[in-house]
Amino acid sequence: MLTQIVKHEWRNLNADRTLWWIILILAVAISYGVYNGTSWVAFLEGTIEVALQEEHDRLAKAQHTVANGLDPERASRSPYSARYIGRRMGLRYAYLPPGPLASLSVGQSDLYPSYFLVNTQATQRQKRHSELENPNHLLESRFDLAFVTVYLFPLLILALTYNLISSEREQGTLAMVLSQPVSLRKFVVGKVGFRALMALTLVIGFSILAFLLNGVNLFGMGTTLKLLLWISIVIVYSAFWFGLALAVNTIGRSSATNAIILTSLWLVFVVLVPSVVNLLVKTLHPVPSRVEYIVAMRDASMNARAEEAQLLSIFYEDHPELLSEDEQSHTENFDTLQWAAEMKVEESMQPVLNRFNKQLAKQQTQVNRLRFLSPAIVTQEALNEIAGTGPTRFRHFMSIVDAFHEEWRTYFVPKIFALHEMTGPDFDEIPDYTYLEDPEDRIANRILVALVGMIIPTLGVFIVGFSRIRHYPLNG
Amino acid sequence: MIKTIAHKEFLQMVRDGRFKWVAGIVFCLLLASLVVGWRHYQTLNTQHELAQTRVREQWLSQPEQNPHSGAHYGTYAFKPKTFLSSIDTGIEPYVGAAVWLEAHNQNQFQARPAEDATAVERFGQLTAAVVLQILLPLLIILVSFSAFAGEREEGTLRQLVSLGIKPSHLAAGKALGIAAALALILVPAVVIGVITLSLLTNLAEAKVDSGRMLMMGFLYVLYFSIFISVSLAVSAKARSSRLALVILLGFWIFNGLIAPRFASDLSRSLYPGPSNFEFESNIKLALQYGVDGNTTYREVERKRRTEIMSQYGVNDIKDLPVNFAGIRLQMNEDWGYEVFDKFYGDLHENFRKQNRVQQIGAAVAPLLAIRSLSMGLAGTDYYLHQDFAEKAEMHRRLEVKIINDDITFNGAEAGSKYVNGIDVWEKVPPFQYQMKPVSWVLGNHWVSLLILIMWFGLAGGPLCWTIRSIKAG
Amino acid sequence: MLEAINLSKIYDSGPPALDSLNLRVESGEIFCLLGANGAGKTTTINLFLNFVKPSGGSARVKNLDVVQAPLETKKYLAYIPEQVMLYRNLTGLENLEYFSSLAGRRYKYPDLLPFFEQVGLTTNEAHKRISTYSKGMRQKVGIAIALAKKAEVLLLDEPTSGLDPKASNEFSGLLQKLSSEGVAVFMATHDLFRAKETGTRVGIMKHGRLVDTLDTEGLQHTDLERIYLEHMHD
Repeated sequence: MLTQIVKHEWRNLNADRTLWWIILILAVAISYGVYNGTSWVAFLEGTIEVALQEEHDRLAKAQHTVANGLDPERASRSPYSARYIGRRMGLRYAYLPPGPLASLSVGQSDLYPSYFLVNTQATQRQKRHSELENPNHLLESRFDLAFVTVYLFPLLILALTYNLISSEREQGTLAMVLSQPVSLRKFVVGKVGFRALMALTLVIGFSILAFLLNGVNLFGMGTTLKLLLWISIVIVYSAFWFGLALAVNTIGRSSATNAIILTSLWLVFVVLVPSVVNLLVKTLHPVPSRVEYIVAMRDASMNARAEEAQLLSIFYEDHPELLSEDEQSHTENFDTLQWAAEMKVEESMQPVLNRFNKQLAKQQTQVNRLRFLSPAIVTQEALNEIAGTGPTRFRHFMSIVDAFHEEWRTYFVPKIFALHEMTGPDFDEIPDYTYLEDPEDRIANRILVALVGMIIPTLGVFIVGFSRIRHYPLNG
Repeated sequence: MIKTIAHKEFLQMVRDGRFKWVAGIVFCLLLASLVVGWRHYQTLNTQHELAQTRVREQWLSQPEQNPHSGAHYGTYAFKPKTFLSSIDTGIEPYVGAAVWLEAHNQNQFQARPAEDATAVERFGQLTAAVVLQILLPLLIILVSFSAFAGEREEGTLRQLVSLGIKPSHLAAGKALGIAAALALILVPAVVIGVITLSLLTNLAEAKVDSGRMLMMGFLYVLYFSIFISVSLAVSAKARSSRLALVILLGFWIFNGLIAPRFASDLSRSLYPGPSNFEFESNIKLALQYGVDGNTTYREVERKRRTEIMSQYGVNDIKDLPVNFAGIRLQMNEDWGYEVFDKFYGDLHENFRKQNRVQQIGAAVAPLLAIRSLSMGLAGTDYYLHQDFAEKAEMHRRLEVKIINDDITFNGAEAGSKYVNGIDVWEKVPPFQYQMKPVSWVLGNHWVSLLILIMWFGLAGGPLCWTIRSIKAG
Repeated sequence: MLEAINLSKIYDSGPPALDSLNLRVESGEIFCLLGANGAGKTTTINLFLNFVKPSGGSARVKNLDVVQAPLETKKYLAYIPEQVMLYRNLTGLENLEYFSSLAGRRYKYPDLLPFFEQVGLTTNEAHKRISTYSKGMRQKVGIAIALAKKAEVLLLDEPTSGLDPKASNEFSGLLQKLSSEGVAVFMATHDLFRAKETGTRVGIMKHGRLVDTLDTEGLQHTDLERIYLEHMHD
């Protein structure tokens, strides 16, 4: 019986052309989205590659000079000086390589810096290298697969289902069908099931195809699990929309009214609730502004400078070339002072930074709770996590950068104080940066919570839909 | 006649339960976004003003030291918030609020609010502008899609035409009725908003530019009229009201969702910009080898040194009546200006080109036009940000020049041990940003304005034409 | 075959739409139900189809209560409304295949063609889309569905209104043929002439009550009209 209904639905939709339009739109949107995501990932990878090449050339040159005992180009920029290597010439890039499914969702990665040039200076003086993007572009996040999934796919689902039962009633075929030994519930299951099966096959099939065409390796390390998570998120998210359309259909209004109600619900879940949550979170837990942070940092460094003795050292730190011969011997002295001053700034900034991070964490907790108000937020966040372009992976990256920064300082600071002269083999011992991925299961756990958070409302709309179906007005 | 029709449309709409619900929600959202937007504006504005004062105090309270150290410590320029940013936050979340003005370097802006925000930030923030640009058009579509198609289906259109009513009067009446229903939401929201604000704050102090507000209001009315015309035209032309609804919803989605993203993708691929890495390495390279890549800074410096010595008729730097360190620092700055002007100039030029593509994109989606104009008038667009960045850079150059001159002319005797204090800090004026006039805004957004007016005309034209050929049956 | 026992229907407010209907229609019989608009004719049919739930009594098909065994009873029922509505984008054949398979009867396309022939539609017409069909043709497809599902009871709701006399006549012929093969036919109609010509029994309904039942045998058309009008004037 179900197969008959499904077969018939296929025949009917096929004759109607709507289906072909939807398939076409979906195919175009998905390929475009994946293409966009892939080119963004290629851009990031290209940048990292160029940066690593630059790092390699710079270090190789320094090592070459030192290993062969050549004269430095300028005395003030000598690769023999551990100080100069550790603070300028030998710096390494700490970078965040795009995850295996990064082309799925650009997420926040166009806002976050993807690399840091780590040196011995204090944490607050590490420069953030964010990409130079036209702010008008940032205003609209990109047309990537996540956008297609979160925004467009529900619309296509609604286009397929807004008149699921109402059109049969308006055409008069519903009475004909129900005068056969088939229950309305079974009939609707057949109709919804067919559409859901088809929509999901299309969206998942096209996406995987687009991935393959764009050279994403689907069977790499950890990719398969992520792929499965992504597929389950898409399934549950679309089930929610199918359920919603079903529930609205069972109210028994006309197709036009259904279309209005469903578009409004789409607007509510995809646009309004997220922007209201955003507003709510910002108003309830405002992050202390970075502006205050800047002012506090200047106060701190001002205080650190207040000690007369350091002023000179700071000056010469910026301008070692202005140092006269007889003052060179004092270098040891100002390196110590310099270090002390920076440590002091870092220390006095710590409470400000902590307050900042605490408030951010509070916001995040709030968002973690409030996101369940809209499956669109849950899905977008989950897709970002799977793609590794959300805040979680970035925070993990920052912790790795901090650790590397610490390692760098541990290696260089004693050498700088000891006025160490670099030797060839020293270069091989300079700390090397490697990015270690967050253990998978943590992502998996987060996604599972997201899934459960969506399954509950999805079940809710289906239960409402199926229980109301009994009272569906057959005549009139 | 038109009045009668408008009155009937208005009554019908206002009595419709659906309209009541949707209008109520839109009204609440509009009011809430106005109030919250205003609060955010106030917090941020106070913050920025305080920070600007505090930074000035910090600058002045520097100890006696080599003035150049002061230039390294530098100052910050904080972007002031405009009052209208409480209606339209524009690009503000995505551009930094502050820039460090220090010696040697033209820095990029810091503290982009979006970087510290949670992932919901990318869904956008509920502002009055979002309500006006996205929600109201939907409301217009929902109340007007059946204006003609529905009457035709119910047979009332046949009756109306048989009474001898001119179709154009019918259309005008319907448009007015819809407009009146919209006014029912907008006018109270604006009035309540203004009253609340004037009770809460001193409007004169908040530098409220009523000209800008009026202009903004006028442009939004234009934008809504476009949607009313388009909806009525589609309703008159479509076979059934269901089809009219589907077409209009499609247009709404394209206008609000697809077109903006597509426009920014298109402008990016037409005018790709450099990566940050490329940008910074190019600047670093040019600072060493000149913009043309063939001159080394050291050569220029050597040449200038001989020039200066011959100018003062001395053979040794030490015999100069001025402090050469100051001259050299300024020379270094001048060298840098050329490099920064070139690279930041190119970047800015590229962004301008990208923006132009997006503005032209308004030809297919009026949202792009109203968005760009609304941001412009609110002072939250790219052009104002860029202007602020330029003014801040000019201030940096002034600051550094004053300091270098001080070193040059007052530090001749002390040489590298020269120190100075409050005298020199005070010579640097505090940074102040002068807001731009409306004419400047319109100059930047003339393409958008033109296209918006064209939409208005074009949507009205086909409306008249479709109405004339309207079929009653 | 078809039986109503004290069948009543009261909607939310207002007088009963159907008031204790007692009725039996045997196989081979054609029962025509006459009555003004709103007399309860359609309600009766909807009750037999279980489209609405009875407020009292029971509607039975082959001795099965339609509320208790909705799917089982529908196996024996065929329904022909005033407008037989079919899927416009599908052909007559495809529609017939769909509806008969919903009824649990699987056919291959060639096996369905005889049903079209029986109701007077050509093979060529069977392959055309429903959107090209006239009303009369669609009503015939309705009968074809009944034939294909081997229905034992036919419920018709003003099936001939709006048909031209020739099409109407053909349609009645089909009904009589079915009835002669043992199908119980229950038809609501406004058409006194058609009721008398086609039916074996005629019922008159008013305000939800069956006020009179007549055998058509020996009944004159003018008598029927008189009796009907008398009831209406009461």
